[in-house]
Amino acid sequence: MMILTGKTLVSALRPPYPYGGEFVSQFLFALKLCWFPLLISTVAFGYGAPGLQAANFLVLFGALDRLGGFFVLASIREFAPFVTAIVLAGVAGTAITADLGARKIREELDALQVLGVDPVKNLVVPRFLALMLVTGLFDVYALLFGIFGGIVATLVNGAPLGPFWATFFTNASTVDLWGSVVKCTLFGAIIAIVCCYKGMTASGGAEGVGRAVNQAVVVAFLGIFAFNYVFTQTLLATHPEIQVIR
Amino acid sequence: METSIGGPRQWLEATGAMLRFCFRVMGEVYGLKVFRYFGEALRQAGILILSSTLVIWSLIFIIGLQCGIEGAYFNRSVGSPAYAGVFAAWCDLRELVPYSFGYMMAAKVGTGIVAELGSMRISDEIDALEVMGVPSMTFLCSTKLLAAWMVLPFVYLSGVGAGFLASYLAVVQQIGEVSSGGYQLIFWAFQNPPDLLYSVIKGMTMATVIVLVGCYYGYNASGGPVGVGTATAKSMVVNIVLVHIIGMLGTQLFWGANPRAPIGG
Repeated sequence: MMILTGKTLVSALRPPYPYGGEFVSQFLFALKLCWFPLLISTVAFGYGAPGLQAANFLVLFGALDRLGGFFVLASIREFAPFVTAIVLAGVAGTAITADLGARKIREELDALQVLGVDPVKNLVVPRFLALMLVTGLFDVYALLFGIFGGIVATLVNGAPLGPFWATFFTNASTVDLWGSVVKCTLFGAIIAIVCCYKGMTASGGAEGVGRAVNQAVVVAFLGIFAFNYVFTQTLLATHPEIQVIR
Repeated sequence: METSIGGPRQWLEATGAMLRFCFRVMGEVYGLKVFRYFGEALRQAGILILSSTLVIWSLIFIIGLQCGIEGAYFNRSVGSPAYAGVFAAWCDLRELVPYSFGYMMAAKVGTGIVAELGSMRISDEIDALEVMGVPSMTFLCSTKLLAAWMVLPFVYLSGVGAGFLASYLAVVQQIGEVSSGGYQLIFWAFQNPPDLLYSVIKGMTMATVIVLVGCYYGYNASGGPVGVGTATAKSMVVNIVLVHIIGMLGTQLFWGANPRAPIGG
C-alpha cells in the first residue's frame, strides 16, 4: 500500500498528465453518489450526538446559548470531518473498489498494461486526486448541515438562535477551520489509496470482489480513526489558543 | 456504473421489497423455524466471534481515546479539568460507542454477508439448496440473524468496556490533569444501568438492521462478479444512512426528554 502511495504521488506530479477527463468524471461521480447520504447523516449526527446531548446538559445550567460554542468544538473539529470520511469511505470508496475489482477480475487491468497504458497513472491518480478534493469540499458541506442539526436542537428546546450564533462566532477560529479541511483532505487520500489498492489486488472471482470491498472498508475505517486520533492530538497540542472558550 | 439514486417510485418499490424480506426473515426467527438449523446458527456465531469481534473492539477503543482527549481538552478550557469524566461518560456510552459499533458492523459484518451470499447466488448455490429441499432463506438468512442476536449483546458490552478503558487511559494516563479516583468518581456518577440498557438497545437495533440489509442485498444479487461488488457497495450506502438515523432517533427517544444527569431538578 505504501508502494502504491509513492507511485501515485510520483506519477501524479510527473508529466504527461493524461488523467484530466477521468478526474472530472470521478469527481462528479463521487459528488452525485454522496451528497444525499451525507446530508442525512450529518443532520442526524449533528442533531443527535452533540445537539441533543449537549443541549440537555446545558439546559440544566440554564446556559443553552453556550451550545454554539460547543458546536465549534464538536462539529468543526470532530464530527464534520469524521462523518464525511465515514460516508465517503462507505459510499464512494466501496464503489471505487467494486469498479476496480471488477476490472481486475475481467483482466481489463492486464489488458491496459499490455496496451502500454499505466493503470496507476490513468486509473489510480485521478481517483486519488478527485477523492481528496471531494472530501475536502464535502467537509464544508458537512459543517453547514451539522450546524443545521445544532440549530434544530436549539429550536426544539425553545431557545432563540441569536445567542447560538453569538457564541458560535466568538469561539470559531480559522485554525479550527483549516485544521478541519486539511484533516478531511487527508482522510480522502487514505480512503482513495486503500480502496484502489484493495480493488487492484482483488482475486478469486465473484466472491473475491465482494471480499475486496469488505476488506477495503474495514481497513479504511481503521486508518481514518487512527489518523484522526493522531491529528486531533497534534492540532490541540500545537495550537493551545483554539482551546480557549471565549 | 450504476448508482443507487433512482426516482421516488423506484425508492418506494425497493423499500417495500426490502421490508417484506426483513419481516420474512424475522418471522422465521420468531416462529422458531430457524431452530431446525441451530447447528448452522452456532457455526455463524462462531464465525462472528472469531472474525469480527477484535476489529470491532479496536475501533471502539480508538473512539474511546478520541472521546477522552476531546473531553479532557474541552473541560480544561472551561476551567474544570476534573470533570472530564462527564464528557467521557456521555460521549462513550450514549453516542460514539453505538455509532462506531454500527460503522464497524456495517463495514465488517454487513459487507461480509453481502459478499458471501452474493457469490452463492451468482454461482447458483442458493438455487441448488432449494432444489435439495432446504429452505434457503431460513438456512442462510435467519440463522445469521439468530447468530447475531446470540453473540452481539456480549460483543457490545465488552466493546463498551474497551471504550471506557480507552477514555480512562487518555484522560488519566495521557493528559494527566485529573487523578484516577477523581476521574472515576465523576465518570460513574454520570451514568447508571438504564443508560447502559438504552445504549445496548441502540446498538442491537443497528446490528439487526445491518444484518437484514446485508442479507437482502446478498440474497438478491445479480449480474456476475461485478454485481456482487455493486451490491456490496450499495448495502454499505444504505447501512450508513440507517445507522445515523437509528442513532439520532435513539438519542431522541431515550435522552431527548430526560437528560438523566445527577444534577439540577
